[in-house]
Amino acid sequence: MTTNRGSLPGSFRDPSGFLFVQDGSLYRQVNNVYRENYDHLIQSGLYESVTDSGVMIAHEEVGTDLGRTDDAHKIVKPETVPFISYPYEWCFSQLKDAALVTLRIQKTALDSGMTLKDASAYNIQFTNGRPVLIDTLSFDKYREGQPWAAYRQFCQHFLAPLALMSHTDVRLNQLLRTYIDGVPLDLASSLLPFRTRFTFPLLSHIHLHARSQRHFADRTVNISRRKMSRVSFLGLIDNLESAVKKLKWRPDATYWAGYYDDTTYSEDALHQKKQLVAQVLDQMDPKIVWDLGANVGLFSRVASDRGILTISFDVDPACVEQSYVESVEKGETNILPLWLDLTNPSPNIGWSNEERMSLLQRGPADTVLFLALIHHLAISNNLPLGMIADFLDKICTSLVIEFVPKSDPQVQRLLSTREDIFPDYTQQAFENAFGRYFTVQTAAQITHTERNLYLMTRRQA
Amino acid sequence: MKHSRRLANSVVLVVLLLFASTQNAHAYVDPGTGSYIIQLIIAGLVGVAFAIRIYWGKIKALFSRPSGNGQETGDDNQ
Repeated sequence: MTTNRGSLPGSFRDPSGFLFVQDGSLYRQVNNVYRENYDHLIQSGLYESVTDSGVMIAHEEVGTDLGRTDDAHKIVKPETVPFISYPYEWCFSQLKDAALVTLRIQKTALDSGMTLKDASAYNIQFTNGRPVLIDTLSFDKYREGQPWAAYRQFCQHFLAPLALMSHTDVRLNQLLRTYIDGVPLDLASSLLPFRTRFTFPLLSHIHLHARSQRHFADRTVNISRRKMSRVSFLGLIDNLESAVKKLKWRPDATYWAGYYDDTTYSEDALHQKKQLVAQVLDQMDPKIVWDLGANVGLFSRVASDRGILTISFDVDPACVEQSYVESVEKGETNILPLWLDLTNPSPNIGWSNEERMSLLQRGPADTVLFLALIHHLAISNNLPLGMIADFLDKICTSLVIEFVPKSDPQVQRLLSTREDIFPDYTQQAFENAFGRYFTVQTAAQITHTERNLYLMTRRQA
Repeated sequence: MKHSRRLANSVVLVVLLLFASTQNAHAYVDPGTGSYIIQLIIAGLVGVAFAIRIYWGKIKALFSRPSGNGQETGDDNQ
């Protein structure tokens, strides 16, 4: 999936350079047009400062022989980001941390006479548990008097969705899935509660900003005479930073976030299940694990604590938030909690449907953990077992899956309010359906339950 | 102090908002100009506040040392 010069589809907008893949490695071409800015980034010490402090991805300069076009100034090989995630998959605190790191980089850049020319949330990725800027070509030399070129984008990509998540509904980050360049400010303004007009940052950066956009939409203004002093620039960044810091979201005690406190598992069963998962992980030795329906990441951490990169997906924003906050507090580097509705996973979106990858395009994982989830898909979502097996076949090479039979209290709870139209939901039918795609390596019953945990490997591995 | 400053800022902007009529607004046109103008207005306001904060901090630092010394002197006198 590349363009005619071989660049990756997510990096075509910026004339300064582009990303391309050569022999399985990712490279970035820096074009001659960006020479002055790139050289300043390196020579001013800014590159060293932001990479040493871990807020920007480091790279290594390689020869220009690899250049894809004649105007290559440099070819760099950036550090690998092992899993690409997108802002519509982040919880509130992930988006907030991504916003704050963007502003921190802008402040550091200004000290070195540079400024961020864009503030796209897609330029931030999580590596080792923390947000980092991945676009080395985001810096331009600062000219005294110029305003912040990325101001509007920052408001649309960060401030507006964070304000909506904080003041209206946390699920409104899903607007980012529809609006590829961030939430339109007039939409944000109309969705935010009236009381947000009484706080200066939201009144100015969102409500009045939206009004101003509409007011000047059909007017021509000579902007060349209008300048912004350096102090004003610093004041603006400082104001945006305090605005973002003030935005909070505390999850209510949701159904899922309290799951392990109110579950059918006994201490023994939970302990045994952890041990079983640990055993199969040691046996399979995966490099990357996807834990689907991870809740607050209890079993994800069995994998991540072993040094395995673990993407911990859940549909409940409160669970993802709780898990992310825990990962930050503990300084965990191998777990990435993400928000995902498995019945409608992230699609490929953007220009030509190629800018942002679907979930499937980012796979397969070495191992998928699919624990205490199948009954939710099969019974709550009417998904036939064969279709679940077919989907899992596409996203992993080995599978740790728990079958929860109809007799289980949790399944009985699901069936208590609906007609049982699932005569095929049996352990035998499950084994048959999955047997078409996977080979069962081991199976064990979980203590004090009728649940079974299977390790399966893909037939066409 | 903090509240009154915030209030004053809000009042100024509400006045600006009143002037910013939305008649003849056209959708689907470049929002860049409006973003540019509002940025200059906001940055002008918060820039003043930012500068005052920075200089106030410096002024306070300038005066806090002599007064600190004064206290020490007072202690010595006792």
